[in-house]
Amino acid sequence: METRIRLLLLSVGLAACSGCASMHWPWHHPKPDATTDTSANADVTPAPPSASAPVIEPQVEQRKIKVPQIRAKNVELGVYYGELSIEDFGAQPVEGLHLDYHISEDLFAEAAYGRAKGGRTSFEELSGNVQLLSDAERHFNYYNLSLGYNVLPGEVFIGRNLAMTSALYMIGGIGDVTFAGQQNFAVNFGAGFRVLPTDWLALHIDVQDLVFKSNDIGIYQLKNNLQATIGMSVFF
Amino acid sequence: MSPRRIEFALLLALWALPLVSAPVQAAHELLQLFVSEPYLELHTGPGRGYPVTQVVARGESVEVLFRRTDWFKVRSERGVEGWAPAAALRLATLADGSPFHVDLGDRAEFATHRWESGVFAGDYAGATLIAAYSALSVTDNLKLEIGLSQFVGNVSDGYIADVGLAHVFMPQWLFSPLVDAGTGYLRLEPKATLTRPVDRSDQVAYAGAGGRLYLTRRFFMRAEYRKYVVFTRTNANEVNGEWRLGFAFFY
Repeated sequence: METRIRLLLLSVGLAACSGCASMHWPWHHPKPDATTDTSANADVTPAPPSASAPVIEPQVEQRKIKVPQIRAKNVELGVYYGELSIEDFGAQPVEGLHLDYHISEDLFAEAAYGRAKGGRTSFEELSGNVQLLSDAERHFNYYNLSLGYNVLPGEVFIGRNLAMTSALYMIGGIGDVTFAGQQNFAVNFGAGFRVLPTDWLALHIDVQDLVFKSNDIGIYQLKNNLQATIGMSVFF
Repeated sequence: MSPRRIEFALLLALWALPLVSAPVQAAHELLQLFVSEPYLELHTGPGRGYPVTQVVARGESVEVLFRRTDWFKVRSERGVEGWAPAAALRLATLADGSPFHVDLGDRAEFATHRWESGVFAGDYAGATLIAAYSALSVTDNLKLEIGLSQFVGNVSDGYIADVGLAHVFMPQWLFSPLVDAGTGYLRLEPKATLTRPVDRSDQVAYAGAGGRLYLTRRFFMRAEYRKYVVFTRTNANEVNGEWRLGFAFFY
């Protein structure tokens, strides 16, 4: 009888122990087998890409950047003032406007308009009350379209700390001179010096000759009209 | 308003222009470029002869302040300002790594440019001609042109303002032929000698043929012969010939 009870208790205890093996105790760490090993590692190393189910979706979006427009400051607008020696009619004050377009670091195109008023000829001064031209006819207005070349670009220095870019240029072109009530085809040529105290401001000294053929006193003559001016212009 | 006052106002406006434009410039967003060559040289002025006093290293960026001809005024991250040529800036990249494109004016652009302007000298019906024109490219072949001419003759002087269309054959060729046609207004001012003839203004139409010859960079020459028909108020229309030879540039 005692043996039977002991057997019964032992078999119940054994059954209980075998059941315990399948239970999850807090101190129990199950040793991973081969299959669980692969699945556990899948969390840290990416699986080889398969066409059916990519692990990482490629979401590379082409970023569009705004490219701001670069300002071009090739246009120069300026005024000038000086003396124009009108052949036979004396040296007179001249004023004008010019618009330039800088094509390259060497070349620029210029349109200029200027005006002056002729004085009295020596003949008129000496002979008393003789008037060769009326007051309106003495207006000397001209325009020209020229091409300039920066022959000697460089820098000028004022003191130790100030350097300004500059250029000595040659300029020549064609245009029209209205004088003595007549329009005349004119050729202009000369040289000038430009200095830029800032990037937008330029100061000019210019000498040009305006040459045209005229018959204002009855015979055709080649007229040379030398002009020396100083000016100021802005770049924009 | 007297001319003196107008002059004074113009002069004042000219002076004030930079003052007004300065704050506008400050608000303008600047282009940022990254140096991808070993270094970018900065010159002291916008020309090949100006000395290099600063360099910007690879990977650093510059802000492009403005452009003058083919030179760009830039400011580095360290605040150093200088001039860089377009040829060097073409090697820099934009913020996204893409290359920076800049038009330098070359043979390819001779065919594809948008604007062109030029000046001519020539002869209109025996009178000396001075003319200027500008053209907008509608396509590479077709151009919308406006022109202003003045002629100075022994008998009369005058002006022509015209608008027309020009068709350029083979714009990619070094010499590209063209034909054009258009209409405009002619103002004739006869030179008074014995009698005082009245000035007159008539509509004109023209048709011409010529060619363009590419020189270098942005420059080309243009030569043309035109026939003008002047629709006078008399029974017979006038037909005048004109030739012109000029120098032009594109942009």
